[in-house]
Amino acid sequence: MADGYMLEARGLTRRYAGFTALNNVSFALREGEIRGLIGSNGAGKSTCMDVLTGRGKNPIGTVRLGGEDISKLSQRERRAKGLSRSFQKTSIFPDLTIREQVRLAARNAELDNSEEVISELALSSIADRLASDVSYGDQRRVDLALALVGRPKLLLLDEPAAGLTVEESLSMARMLRDLSERWKLTVMLVEHDMEVIFAICDRLTVLHLGEVLTEGDPESVRSNPEVIRAYLGSSFA
Amino acid sequence: MSSISSPSVRGAQAAPGQGIGLYLAIGCLVAVLGFALPFVGLPKNLLALLTSASISAILATAVGFLVRQAGLSSFGHAAFYGGAAYAIALLVKYTSLPAEVVVLAAPLLIVGLGVVVSLILLRTNGIAFSMLSLAMAQAVYELVMKWRDLANGEDGLRIRFAREIFGLKLSFFQKADTMFLVTWAVLVVVIAILVLVSRSNFGTLTIAIKNNEERARFLGYRTLWPRVVILALSALIAALGGTLFALYNGYVTPSLLHWTLSGEALIIAIIGGTRSVWAPAVGAFVFVILRDVAGNYTTHWQSIVGLVLIAVVLTLPNGIGGALTAFTNRFGGRQNG
Ligand SMILES: Nc1ncnc2c1ncn2[C@@H]1O[C@H](COP(=O)(O)OP(=O)(O)OP(=O)(O)O)[C@@H](O)[C@H]1O
Ligand SMILES: [Mg+2]
Repeated sequence: MADGYMLEARGLTRRYAGFTALNNVSFALREGEIRGLIGSNGAGKSTCMDVLTGRGKNPIGTVRLGGEDISKLSQRERRAKGLSRSFQKTSIFPDLTIREQVRLAARNAELDNSEEVISELALSSIADRLASDVSYGDQRRVDLALALVGRPKLLLLDEPAAGLTVEESLSMARMLRDLSERWKLTVMLVEHDMEVIFAICDRLTVLHLGEVLTEGDPESVRSNPEVIRAYLGSSFA
Repeated sequence: MSSISSPSVRGAQAAPGQGIGLYLAIGCLVAVLGFALPFVGLPKNLLALLTSASISAILATAVGFLVRQAGLSSFGHAAFYGGAAYAIALLVKYTSLPAEVVVLAAPLLIVGLGVVVSLILLRTNGIAFSMLSLAMAQAVYELVMKWRDLANGEDGLRIRFAREIFGLKLSFFQKADTMFLVTWAVLVVVIAILVLVSRSNFGTLTIAIKNNEERARFLGYRTLWPRVVILALSALIAALGGTLFALYNGYVTPSLLHWTLSGEALIIAIIGGTRSVWAPAVGAFVFVILRDVAGNYTTHWQSIVGLVLIAVVLTLPNGIGGALTAFTNRFGGRQNG
């Protein structure tokens, strides 16, 4: 990691039968950075996370994690290297208790901090209940806990607050910010709520039609006319 | 901030894991009481029925365990069950191996086969798995039916065991009052082992794979081999059932391999419930006794069993076992846990 980048992605590309969902996308994240990945529906944000994690057939592009090329590794091996992710749709284990599944998620990590994560995410009082038995908001935090446990090097979060109230998403965002500082996490966050994005992101990458439209700090992205036209709309100008 | 700092708690619900002591106590009690059954003067035919029921219970436990841990409904477990019984019959007929070796080797042979088969079967899920297991098992049935020189086709084979096995007279294994002790012991040990497996880290992993294979993979787990292990374990237990059947009855017929036997085991597991490891065994005792009682009153016992099945499915979504669990929780004071 000579140049100080935790994640370097170059030329990420994904084509579906005649349709290019992601075209030659490159970016780099510094250690400890929270990067917002934004763009309109269908811009390629989830696809970008898929290619980074090796999900789906023939991911194209190179991915370096902490300086090491992991492009050829399987999803499982990437996780072992410290690359963790959550999915856009809640993806948990309904028939396991919250504690059981967080422990399960920690078992392949170098560090088992499952109890710490359970308490940081305010899951302690419901930890022994089945995940199918708790509210949607709780399930979203279980989902986050599965990705967060074991202190991964890089955390890819695909709309972790989707479906939560504004208040809940902001509180989740603040918690993320807090944890990323204390645990030195590098995070890439997909989020539609600009309030959340501006509250916690150090830098933003804007995708449009599968390509990087621009990248920069939140202020400059907010005032970029191209971004306003393609995504934000005039209300954010 | 509200949802993060004060997670919603909907009523106090006992955690799975609490109140295990009560279940352990009930389980031990039932297990021990079972061993007393041959000594309390039950009629011979009732003991014979209970012996058959224990063997059915072992098969149903195998089938139910696969549903519970892997979410797979097998329509082919007769191939493991009948396969082990036939393996014994054929080894006794064509080799001069000691009966002890035959009895131990047959189930292991079937498990080896199970592992190989599972590598094909487990490429599939859901209905595809059920259909493929049915097709592969029926192929074994057809083979035995058609290849008369091998195993006498539909007439089946009498197994000419030695007069002593494991130092016990053959009649020990072929009379209900003694054989019941063996079948009951195997059933108890099988359930105890499966409960331990289901509560282990490995058991948790297999439930996770059943729920959400992709997320399990993204958490860094291999997802094929745990399923292979579960299927192999299930096959082994079905094969143990077949082994006991062969010992007890001393003959095999192709009906042991027929898909209706697989289907019956699955029905029993569903009547019993697949939420708990022990529930399919309860289903087996209810089913076998019900079939016998119904058979005494009417030749249409199948329709009575069918009606009961419908009633159970409609009124007890988690089977008899689910109802028993709810009952135990209510009267065991677990709701305040
Ligand atoms: N399996 C697939 N086959 C074909 N096209 C696909 C497939 N998956 C995604 N796409 C297409 O790729 C494009 C990018 O999808 P993607 O899910 O990455 O968008 P997104 O930015 O995450 O959008 P959203 O904000 O709605 O989540 C979309 O046009 C989508 O329809
Ligand atoms: Mg998306």
